[in-house]
Amino acid sequence: MTAPLVLLERLSYQYPRSETLALHDISLEIRQGEFVGLIGPTGAGKSTFCLALNGIVPQFYGGRFFGRALVVGLDTVEQPVSELASRVGMVFEDPETQLTATSVENEIAFALENLSIPRALIRERITRVLAIVGLEGLEHRHPHELSGGQKQRLAIAAALAVEPALLVLDEATSQLDPAGAAEVFRVLRALNREYGMTVVLASHAAEELAEHADRLLLIDAGELVAEGSPAEIYSQVALLEAHQLRPPQVVKTFSLLPCLPSRLPTRLEEGLATLSNYAAQCIPAAPPLQHTPAAPVITVKGLHHRFTDGTLALTGIDLAFYPGEYVLIVGQNGAGKTSLVKHLLRLLDPTQGQVFVLGRDTREWTVGALARHIGYVAQNPDHQLFNATVRQEVAFALRQLRFPPREIASRTAEALGLLGLEAVADRHPLSLPKGDRARVIIAAMLALQPQVIILDEPTTGQDYAGARAILDLSRALHAQGKTIIVITHQLYLMPGYAERVIVMGKGRVLLDAPLRQAYHALDVLGATQLTPPQAVLLGQRLCPAAQLLTPEEIARCLTDSRVPGDVL
Amino acid sequence: MMAWQTVSRPSLFTRLDFRSKLALMLGVTAVAFLWESPWWGGALAVGVLLACLAAGVAPRYLWGIFRLLAPFFLFMLLMQGFFAGPLIAARTGQMALTPLLRLPEHWPLLGGVTLSAEGLCYGLNIIFKTLTMVLVTPLAIFTTDVNAMLVSLVQLRIPYKIAFVFSSALRFFPLLATELRAILEAQRLRGLDLERLPFHRRIDLYARVAVPLILGALVRSQQLEIALQAKAFTGDPLRTYLHETRLRVADYVLIGCVMVFLLLALIAYFVWGVGRFKV
Amino acid sequence: MNTLNPSGEERRIQRRGGATLDGAPVAYVAALTAVMIAFTLVPLPLSVVIGFGRSFPLSQGLYGLIGWLLGPLAGALANGIGVLIGVFINPQNTTIPGASVAGAVAGALAAGVMGATGLRRRWALPLALLFVLEYSLYGGRAILQNGADARAVFAGSFINWSALFLFISPLRALCGRWLRHTNLRYVTVALFFGTWISSGLAHLTSATWVYFVNNWPAENWWLMAPAAPLEHLARCVIGAIVGTGVIAGLRATGILKPLHAAY
Repeated sequence: MTAPLVLLERLSYQYPRSETLALHDISLEIRQGEFVGLIGPTGAGKSTFCLALNGIVPQFYGGRFFGRALVVGLDTVEQPVSELASRVGMVFEDPETQLTATSVENEIAFALENLSIPRALIRERITRVLAIVGLEGLEHRHPHELSGGQKQRLAIAAALAVEPALLVLDEATSQLDPAGAAEVFRVLRALNREYGMTVVLASHAAEELAEHADRLLLIDAGELVAEGSPAEIYSQVALLEAHQLRPPQVVKTFSLLPCLPSRLPTRLEEGLATLSNYAAQCIPAAPPLQHTPAAPVITVKGLHHRFTDGTLALTGIDLAFYPGEYVLIVGQNGAGKTSLVKHLLRLLDPTQGQVFVLGRDTREWTVGALARHIGYVAQNPDHQLFNATVRQEVAFALRQLRFPPREIASRTAEALGLLGLEAVADRHPLSLPKGDRARVIIAAMLALQPQVIILDEPTTGQDYAGARAILDLSRALHAQGKTIIVITHQLYLMPGYAERVIVMGKGRVLLDAPLRQAYHALDVLGATQLTPPQAVLLGQRLCPAAQLLTPEEIARCLTDSRVPGDVL
Repeated sequence: MMAWQTVSRPSLFTRLDFRSKLALMLGVTAVAFLWESPWWGGALAVGVLLACLAAGVAPRYLWGIFRLLAPFFLFMLLMQGFFAGPLIAARTGQMALTPLLRLPEHWPLLGGVTLSAEGLCYGLNIIFKTLTMVLVTPLAIFTTDVNAMLVSLVQLRIPYKIAFVFSSALRFFPLLATELRAILEAQRLRGLDLERLPFHRRIDLYARVAVPLILGALVRSQQLEIALQAKAFTGDPLRTYLHETRLRVADYVLIGCVMVFLLLALIAYFVWGVGRFKV
Repeated sequence: MNTLNPSGEERRIQRRGGATLDGAPVAYVAALTAVMIAFTLVPLPLSVVIGFGRSFPLSQGLYGLIGWLLGPLAGALANGIGVLIGVFINPQNTTIPGASVAGAVAGALAAGVMGATGLRRRWALPLALLFVLEYSLYGGRAILQNGADARAVFAGSFINWSALFLFISPLRALCGRWLRHTNLRYVTVALFFGTWISSGLAHLTSATWVYFVNNWPAENWWLMAPAAPLEHLARCVIGAIVGTGVIAGLRATGILKPLHAAY
């Protein structure tokens, strides 16, 4: 047997100024040619694990390091990072910060230049790795001109250029839209299968890991909790849920059955095949709640928008949003989702057409006045924090708008309470973890008590528990009678929250329908490069007419058919 | 928002090495500094302008500069035209100026002030000087690929780390410009109408825009630092470069010409007074 | 997280930090350089002063801050490169690129030395001499060579000589101390006066250069007399507000502090 590519022996690590261990007694091996998935909730130690593989932990951070990590036979404490960098290629989460050069070819050349590789060889490698990731012909582009998926593929190409023995990717797809993420997974799979590249990928994408990984490592609180094949790990649904993780929907569906299949399927294909072992009794879903017709809060009429550079962002949008609705807007990047909501806030003005808010044309509103009726939480919370304490942040708009002091105090306290931020009210917003920072922004927006609330990709970069917490809050606000509009790519999260779905593609509304109907409009979703959740695909196979949405609904149809006597 | 530009077509200037263009830039700037004659200065400015056009610097960019500088030029011209008396006297010893226009005596403040031909000439000299200095830089910089520029800088013994700061700042500022827009939007969405705020509160808000931008950039810089280390970046100047730059015959010729030009200009100025302000 | 004892043997770690420029990580300098480029593009619509250009960009209130965040040398580099690139991308805010760059560099140097500790405090003397030389060239040329009224020159360059005077005075050291104060109010005050000094000296440096090109007539000095201090006040307010926010944020997040930073 050959020596393992990575060998960790009782590895523990403590960051400086931290009292706990970020990694604790981890021992494992990774063999040449493996595709290893790394799963765990936010803060579990996945990133630390990745950085330990190329010596940045501990050499850059300092702190305390115990045990031993051998990568390609090199001890990561003894070898300089620059030496390890030629054996371990790294790809990080943020597509922007990790690209450092001003052109694609220079990006790929950068590490090679640092390693003093001769020019002719650099040229050869550029051609080779661009072909592998499918970016040929873009050598002279500025990274800024690439799409998210292309940027991550470029980052992979740059990592491959040094011909590493190991490719480590830390959440490399979490900021991409589904099409971009699919591109990256395609490349990784080809690398692993065709070129035998060893891949370590930290990710929250359960469905994709089940599809591609050979082995999963479950890390929580710095400890290696479990390891095994995706089938072994994902079939332990209780274990996953105890660590705030989510199994693929296929697994979840079959795990809910009273009589489990002999082996829980982990991949969609297996799931579809397993379905045929069961008889189904289609239980039509309850019809969606009908709202009593009221005058719309927002009406969009014949909206067109052309950016100053000439690109057409929106073409002929006609929509109405009614009080008390919970609307989901989906579509690939560039479909016009954000452009549309910016018109509702007058951050953009129509090139043609009109938008009415509360019966008045938005051109008659100022942005400030509109913001009191429509609260908008943009994608990156950190752009929206300007104050030194959480309390000041929440009170900021009220103060600027000259509310009376007593009202400022009461509204601030109320908003802080609603989001459970009282305990951190006097801390600096940036000292909070990312999930809490997003809550601060939501609290600041709620202090103005808007009628309509728009959340633009609120769950991007959050783990399952974090995403759920934000959506539960949106549901509570909805129950109070607010109109909620959410933009997201993560379709599997939304059943149980949203009622109506607007599917957008290339600046048009492709479909505007109740959620159930929209999720089953596979051709429409496909047209804007979205894949429905696995449960929907299982439901399609099982009984298309019932338009099932969740593992629970599907399980109910299956159990009912197998043990009819148990149902009242 | 304007972006970093490069010329789209090859020319003599794109083939030259950045080092020789740098020499040209410094030589021309020095001479522009020296000359106070509107005629000589004007010839130099026109020469640089023609060179820009020949090198393919976008006429739109040049026109943009003119438009931006026009109010300043007009201000300078009038200011010097009316008030340059003591300055001209100090330079030429000439006390009586040639009047072109005299404002009526009863005008408040400016009554009786005279527009002089000499003052206008001096104003023109300033305009040409400024133009030369403003135009010579895009001539050198926009005709050079950023990466080739870096290699040239390194060959000029500029430490590689500094050259790296230059290129990565160029890489990251478009991100910040986008973020800046997002932050301004976020502020307006807290219910603030920037346009309607009184001046002192507008300053306060402008300043608050900067805080998340700077902090965000610094947080990012830590991620960047890690990405750099993962790419074997040590700041060590001992590395290879994808792009190569070499001084060719044309570069040596240009550097020689610049030196001769500078020398002649200096001699002519101090010996024969060529380029001095005269009426 | 766990507090259990690790079972592996503790290893001796050799910290090999990344590349630094005068004690500031290269990535850090690059990020702030990019920030300066971005701020050079944001005009504040109120300037009438010829010294710097016509409308003045946000960056002019932040020259000092960059010096305090990075230290004098790395700060000067970030300011210089940032303004240089900014000027080419948007020529609106400057008349003579070189003068703007020189000013930005001088601003960070002055600020960095203000916050310096140890032997570096001695850099103040040569720097002060340089600024005195600049001021004598600036005012001297106006009065002696161009025949301007001395009172007008004095009035028109109030922000420059006051900054120079304060730089030489004990206020320099006091600002340096207060920047490190745990009470943010002290930090704000230090930032306000520190920006008066650093941006005033930055203005002096570019104005000297610009004046050697422009030789604006005597009457212009009188125009500058009321306008320049107002504009300068705006810079200081910006420097104080931004600086306080940034320093509070940096202290809260615990982002690595460069060797010669002064907060």
